[in-house]
Amino acid sequence: MRLEDVNLYDLDRWEQGVPHDMFAVLRKEAPVYWHPEPKGGRGFWAVTKYADVVHISKNPRLFSSYRGGTNIFDVPEEDLHVTRNLMLNMDPPQHTKYRRLVSQGFSPRRVAALEPHIRELTTRILDQVAPRGECDFVTEIAAELPLQVIAELIGIPQEDRHLIFDWSNKLVGFDDPEFRQDPNNMEEGKRVAAEMWAYAHQLAERRKREPGDDFVSKLMHAEVEGRRLSELEFDSFFLLLAVAGNETTRNLISGGMLALIEHPEQKQKLLAHPELLPTAVEEMLRWVTPVICFRRTAAADTEIRGQKIREGDKVVMFYISANRDEEVFANPDQFDVARSPNEHISFGIGEHYCLGANLARLEIRIMFEEILRRFPDMELAGSLRRLRSNFLSGIKSMPVRFTPERRRTTAAH
Amino acid sequence: MKIRIDYDLCEGNAVCMKVAPEVFVVGEDDRARLLDPNPPESLRAKVETAVRRCPRQAISLED
Repeated sequence: MRLEDVNLYDLDRWEQGVPHDMFAVLRKEAPVYWHPEPKGGRGFWAVTKYADVVHISKNPRLFSSYRGGTNIFDVPEEDLHVTRNLMLNMDPPQHTKYRRLVSQGFSPRRVAALEPHIRELTTRILDQVAPRGECDFVTEIAAELPLQVIAELIGIPQEDRHLIFDWSNKLVGFDDPEFRQDPNNMEEGKRVAAEMWAYAHQLAERRKREPGDDFVSKLMHAEVEGRRLSELEFDSFFLLLAVAGNETTRNLISGGMLALIEHPEQKQKLLAHPELLPTAVEEMLRWVTPVICFRRTAAADTEIRGQKIREGDKVVMFYISANRDEEVFANPDQFDVARSPNEHISFGIGEHYCLGANLARLEIRIMFEEILRRFPDMELAGSLRRLRSNFLSGIKSMPVRFTPERRRTTAAH
Repeated sequence: MKIRIDYDLCEGNAVCMKVAPEVFVVGEDDRARLLDPNPPESLRAKVETAVRRCPRQAISLED
């Protein structure tokens, strides 16, 4: 791979797997690289070194999420006032005020209290596929747990969780023709968001009559600087919690399982030493890096690693590359379930550090405890299909087979 | 070693507790507290990691 052959917009390539060879060249030869952009975009700085990603993340006043949003593509000026209601696209001090409304709901103590319930949900999900000895890992296992958990936390009735699944796929899979007919068409994304918001309003009406201990009930009464949330702010919280709470964890569970299947010696090691699971979970997070990148916009003229950056320039942090930085990780291209230390940056760092990190870790750990215990011989039963995207490392389907379980009633007694 | 926690920033992600359990604990109120306000020098490396890894940059090391 030569520098002139690097093209992070080669979506055919991403569909085959992460182009780690491109990132290796970028880290070595051009760690802050001016990358052209298709669809008439104005281009962006591709930042691929760990230290630079941390620097950008920790300086939100210099590298803004608010100015141009957090996706590589530019949202039209007239739509920015809508997308800026998402916490993801705010800067401090505004961001801090909104984040506080929901952060207690994801505190380590709250999350730890969910463990028995999450185990129960996991058991039920695996019970569904256990007697068959084969299934689609993504839709029947990986997608289900985060979807069920976030639906409960938000206050979405379980029978509606597949609506959230479909809407999320469409909102984040904007470059994949399976989910979006026309990736260049912003209108389609707006229509999906509108459907989701109409649903959120119905739910809010219902919670007015029957309040619960869920985010919808809480956000209806939440105040920022002495005033209630506007309709658009409420909708934006709903969208962010629903999408962020299911998509990435699903992809991590699928990608983590694939990593174990592709590295049988690591899987054996984990089966022999289940106490390694916490480091294995961190290694899956590093290896998969469910969010490939987020964008910032320079708020002033500055420099990164000696490269001049002009005010208004787009700066894209490739977490997926930072997580394989040779200067930070020994043998970064080795999947090592016992890796320690492992300061991966898959949840980001700074103001926008993933709010759901503790919840995601818990879901992932329980899911793999149960899978490895019940289906230690799980293997691929066909070819997988990846999401066509340079934004999220996703897998759309992954057929697996394993020794079927007899009825659990006989096993339980 | 003098450690300061900024409670306007801390939101109890408990990364510090994971990195340096001898020094930090996240309590019932979801805020980090110092178990030992004056930890021994031998823990400096761990505390520095906690400072670096705190997602909210809420911890500082003052000497």
